[in-house]
Amino acid sequence: MDINTFIQQLQGEFEDIPAGFLKPETKISDIEGWGSMHALIVIALIDTEYGVTLKGDELRKVSSVQELYDMVVNLKNNPE
Amino acid sequence: MSTPFHLHNKTVLVTGASSGIGKQVAISCSAMGAKVVITGRDEKRLAETFSVLQGEGHSQFVCDLMDETQRNNLFDTIPAIDGYVHSAGVVAPVPVKFIAEKHIRYIMGVNFESAVLSVARLLKNKKLNDAASLVFFSSISVSYPYAGGALYTASKGAIEAYSKNLAIEILPKKMRSNVVVPAMVKTPLYEETKNQSMYRSAEEYESKYPLGLGMPEDVANACIYLLSEASRWVTGINLTLDGGFSIVK
Repeated sequence: MDINTFIQQLQGEFEDIPAGFLKPETKISDIEGWGSMHALIVIALIDTEYGVTLKGDELRKVSSVQELYDMVVNLKNNPE
Repeated sequence: MSTPFHLHNKTVLVTGASSGIGKQVAISCSAMGAKVVITGRDEKRLAETFSVLQGEGHSQFVCDLMDETQRNNLFDTIPAIDGYVHSAGVVAPVPVKFIAEKHIRYIMGVNFESAVLSVARLLKNKKLNDAASLVFFSSISVSYPYAGGALYTASKGAIEAYSKNLAIEILPKKMRSNVVVPAMVKTPLYEETKNQSMYRSAEEYESKYPLGLGMPEDVANACIYLLSEASRWVTGINLTLDGGFSIVK
């Protein structure tokens, strides 16, 4: 897995985000209209694609796309 | 004056008794005089519930109701009961696009199938005494849906429909089946749900409840009513407990 694929997957889920907007350094809070439905979709996407179950409060701890990606990699490599 | 609002001389089985609403239902039933049979998956937490039951004559069985062998063993082993409260349940938000078989199996399995198969076994084994009362849990989210709740609310809608049909079939023995339909109750499951980010802020959500969020005791009290002689004329209903949520919604 690599972050570019990850960003493409996220982009694929969020049709309301302009193409090219998401970059590793993009702050999640800067995504326009970010809300609970987006969070649900991110959690479901990560579960489906990477077999990692994120909790909402874990998701809230990360600020950028890179941090989110790092967290997924970390959880995937170190399953609880 | 004698009151019908008690559970003396009754044996009540509570599933999902290791935490949350099920735990409080078990404790409250014991306080109202019932002999309580509790089941749950987590041995340690079930034992904690058992240790705080009041009175004598209670029993506990560690059991995963989704496992056919364990389930059948349980219903072959327990004494005959006068009350059944199915509080085993799970909440797991899944957006509809991501719903896979495993989610359906898990959510429908715990919330719906385990209840239906348990009651079938209880009836087949003649473990329900005449005039027994059965209580299931739904959720007001059946009527007030939320993003990610498709499977959860479907499982609860299924239980509501099931209970009414069950109520018809058990009428000849004067048995009754009812559903308690709570809004948000402060349980460990609530904390978990909150953390699954369905709500932006807990304060915003809690402000929708004129009488505040429910406590497990509020739900247990409704169960006591439905299990007691006080509700002998009540069957096939959904009893909504929502702190005024639906009147101001």
